[in-house]
Amino acid sequence: MDRLIWTAVTGMTAAMTRQRVIASNMANAQTTGFRAEVLQMTPLTLKGPAVEARAMTDAAVKGAMMTPGVMVNTGRPLDVALQGQAMLTVQAPDGSEAYTRRGDLTVSANGLLVNGEGFAVMGEGGPITLPPGGTYAIAEDGAVLRRDPGTPEAAPAEVGRLKLANPAGTAIAKGLDGLFRVIGGGILPSDAEARLAPATLEQSNVRPSEVLVDMVEAQRLYDMRTKLVATAKELDEGGASLMRMT
Amino acid sequence: MPSSALHVARTGLEAQDTRMRVIANNLANIATTGFKRDRANFATLAYQENRVAGQQSSTETAYATGLNLGTGVSLQSTTSITTQGTLSSTGNPLDMALDGEGFFQVQLPGGRLAYTRAGNFSRSAEGSLVTPQGYAVQPAITIPEGATAISVGPDGTISANLPGSSVPTELGQLTLASFTNPAGLQALGDNFVSETAASGPAQIGAAGADGRGSIRQGMLEASNVNVVEELVDMIETQRAYEINSKLISAVDEMLRNANQTL
Repeated sequence: MDRLIWTAVTGMTAAMTRQRVIASNMANAQTTGFRAEVLQMTPLTLKGPAVEARAMTDAAVKGAMMTPGVMVNTGRPLDVALQGQAMLTVQAPDGSEAYTRRGDLTVSANGLLVNGEGFAVMGEGGPITLPPGGTYAIAEDGAVLRRDPGTPEAAPAEVGRLKLANPAGTAIAKGLDGLFRVIGGGILPSDAEARLAPATLEQSNVRPSEVLVDMVEAQRLYDMRTKLVATAKELDEGGASLMRMT
Repeated sequence: MPSSALHVARTGLEAQDTRMRVIANNLANIATTGFKRDRANFATLAYQENRVAGQQSSTETAYATGLNLGTGVSLQSTTSITTQGTLSSTGNPLDMALDGEGFFQVQLPGGRLAYTRAGNFSRSAEGSLVTPQGYAVQPAITIPEGATAISVGPDGTISANLPGSSVPTELGQLTLASFTNPAGLQALGDNFVSETAASGPAQIGAAGADGRGSIRQGMLEASNVNVVEELVDMIETQRAYEINSKLISAVDEMLRNANQTL
């Protein structure tokens, strides 16, 4: 029995995995600040004295596409969209610092500033807690401004500052909770140059047209590899019938 | 796992379907007094780790990245967008609109308190100030028989001319409730919301003070639903739904092809 059949099967499996990644991206085509995942397929060859005739396929999610999504103005003062490569700093459930592009912020009942996924947004000195009452706005440099209800004529006061980090030059990777972290641990420094767009949200960067093309491609590749398996089966049958003693 | 792509695409379909419901509800309430539009929030579902980064791929090399497969999306919550609706004049002295933050307080049957932005009040047969459902507005205001020239001040003070008197008599003062996180209030239907752990407790105070809005008599706050915005969202949702269903049929065809060919 030739090994061709196994090579074709790894190809089939990889195409199906790819279809799954495409489906997961498409499902998140409207998740605020989502970053599409990229699947990379690599040939695996065994180095040796023999001729290199076989390359198994191996597929892995290589990372996330970091192209910006479309900015949509919402008019809600606590929605922020980050410009350029900047990222919001949030506190992951395990207490560590992680980064996200999701900026639909709300104030929780105990005054903590959290994003749409419920992660506490961090300032320079940890999570930001806001005093109750008053109206809030977020300035372009990440300053959280509060207009005091008692003195409506006074200028808004800064009650906190979002830590905007810039991953440029540092390798970051998306973890299992969908948040980005520095590969190998560590934190990003805050970037004084980073800017955000107030009252705006960044949409997911999944492009539906691209999804359609990728989907068709993955489907046809799968079908071709299925054919390969069928061909390998025929070859094998041919070989077996030669051996038959009748 | 081979057909898990089907299930991932299914989560997408379900989420789009729910989003369409939210949009339909917004559009249905386009003429509801004091209605605040909802926004659907999507969240990625958990990732499955099939291979950990740093795992040995051979004796000399390790995988640079893990294989993290997403399992799709879920509709996590709806946020009520609390922007101010347009105030329109009605000329009815017992119509009140809130210009700014805050809620009127209403006592539901059974004594439970609820809050509303809809100020289309009227006088009940017993003379109390009630909502269209007949629930008493809190603090309770009684308007005596034959009262004329009812006036409501921006701070909620209600006065009227009583029969046999030419001087206005003060009937009481409406207070407003405000919340730390108004987006966390629970909608009850009939324009009412109730407090939850997420919204924080109601802070009661006079209108026009401590960041609360002032009361505008003879006006109503229209819903803040923007038709164009909802229609654009609707088209977006519809397209996403279509592509998700295409994905399901693509995966289905792949599996059928494998079944027939092998």
